[in-house]
Amino acid sequence: MIPGDQNKPCAEIAPLLVFYVCDEVNDQERAAIERHLADCAACRAQLSEERDFQAAVVSLPRADEQADPSGILLSQCRSELAEKLDDFERPAAKAKVPAFAWLRGWMGLHPAWSAATLVLLGLVAGVQSTQWLAARNEAIAPDQAVNVRPNARLTDDQLSKMAVAGINFTPSPYSGSQNVRVRLSSEQPVELTGNVDDSNVRSVLTFVVKNGERFDSGLRLDCLDALKARAEDSEVRGALLSAARKDQNPAVRLKALEALRDAGVDSEVRQALLEALQHDSNPGVRVEAVNLLVRSLEAAPGESLAPQAPEVAGGPMVQASAGRTTFDGSMENVVRTLEELQRNDPSRYVRLRSAAALREISARSDQ
Amino acid sequence: MAIYTGIGKEKAKMSLPSWALAFANESGPTSTSDSALATVTSLASLDERVLVEQAQAGSRPAFEELVRRYDRDVLRLALNLMKRTEDARDVYQEAFLKVYRNLHRFRFECSFYTWLYRIVTNVCLDHLRRRQARPEDQAPEMHSGQFEDGSSDFFERQREHRGTLDPERHLLGLEIKSRLAAAMELLSPRERIVFEMKHYQGLKLRAIGDALGTSEETVKNSLFRATRKLRNELGVLR
Repeated sequence: MIPGDQNKPCAEIAPLLVFYVCDEVNDQERAAIERHLADCAACRAQLSEERDFQAAVVSLPRADEQADPSGILLSQCRSELAEKLDDFERPAAKAKVPAFAWLRGWMGLHPAWSAATLVLLGLVAGVQSTQWLAARNEAIAPDQAVNVRPNARLTDDQLSKMAVAGINFTPSPYSGSQNVRVRLSSEQPVELTGNVDDSNVRSVLTFVVKNGERFDSGLRLDCLDALKARAEDSEVRGALLSAARKDQNPAVRLKALEALRDAGVDSEVRQALLEALQHDSNPGVRVEAVNLLVRSLEAAPGESLAPQAPEVAGGPMVQASAGRTTFDGSMENVVRTLEELQRNDPSRYVRLRSAAALREISARSDQ
Repeated sequence: MAIYTGIGKEKAKMSLPSWALAFANESGPTSTSDSALATVTSLASLDERVLVEQAQAGSRPAFEELVRRYDRDVLRLALNLMKRTEDARDVYQEAFLKVYRNLHRFRFECSFYTWLYRIVTNVCLDHLRRRQARPEDQAPEMHSGQFEDGSSDFFERQREHRGTLDPERHLLGLEIKSRLAAAMELLSPRERIVFEMKHYQGLKLRAIGDALGTSEETVKNSLFRATRKLRNELGVLR
């Protein structure tokens, strides 16, 4: 018998014999196999081997018969499972307890959204709490000020011994001024809270401005900022003049000049400006001084320049009463200083500005 | 000359597990005997459904009854696949705990047997794979490749158990069995499980594919490869 002379060759039939023996072929395959087997001895022999093989497989001793003939293992397994189920049920009862389990579940499933939500919550809480705290501080500030304020006004001696540990400025929503909180470490720590109108607060601030060498320039600038609105006060004005003349930091001097200008220029202020023009090493300060000087000459309401000049000369009150232009010493001083600046100042801007100021003064005096 | 006469007789000795009947039922009757089995199964499945529903509602006794009904088959399959008692115990625990945890997901789309069987086979597959990934963990199994004369030997006990034919044939048979048992170790986890389910659990290839979550064709390939490997190891049987 030559294998392969049937409908299907041995190569196609042989692989099917495995499945034929275990009854996993379809009717068509079965028919083809049986047709082929009828004539092919080689495949019949292979089929016989497959059958023997499967018989051997089936006759293999089974592990379960060996391992657990008496069923002891099974009962062991059952009791172990029962214990596991007991363990399993205990936490299951507790599982209802945890709060926000749904939230945690949701967060676990949506990490990105959870992060975004948390950030947003933090942001809102931060903004809200800042506002709330500010409002709360404002509401209790007067009480606090009363509570912490020393009974007596701070003396110069106390002030001279103090060190300013920190000053916080918070804008007050009620008054236009700033709220100031000053922490002093003098003999005993003192905390002052209030606005600039509080005399002790003002004392501290002016002390800082006046004694600039003892304090940080940033702190001095902050104090100037706070005092700016109260430049008409004599104590404050004194401190500003002192700072404008003596402060080591040009930014502080500049700021002091600005604060003085806003308060209204009188002879004392003009004197300070002139001193600055003559002596200040910083061209920026000199430029600002000359600007302030010129602006102070223009500052009066614009009826006419003529009445302005006397104002320039002797201060607003004096000039208003005098009603005529008198170039007193200080005005002469102004002109002289300006002429000097026009000629000698290293800053071109200062020279030009001085020339312009001189022209203006002479034009005014011509009228 | 044939040592093994009548596969049918050998098969008759094997008790088919309950889920084999369930799969037969679902796959449609393939022979006259299957229709009788189907009746039994459908009756059983009525009770089963009630039990499963009660267990789903949280009844521990109902769940334990389900366990008692099927755990003998589960342990048997686990023992035959894993060959080691400890591993079989692990499979038993893991499988039934999985069933317990996931029972609420069971929607009666198939029989409970089928569902349980899927879980058990997948747990077995996992264990076999894990064991394969850790060669140092390959503790000796219950059979022995080189059997010696000793009463504790697997095949010796088998001989006493099954009675003896003539000594020469018996020895030849023992050798084949021992070589076959050793060759089983060469199968991949999937091949091993398919071979077990086909030849010892008596499942159809389609049902095996269903249990393993794969196609009948894949299962067929696995069975073919398994058979080839074992045949090659055994050489000529006679």
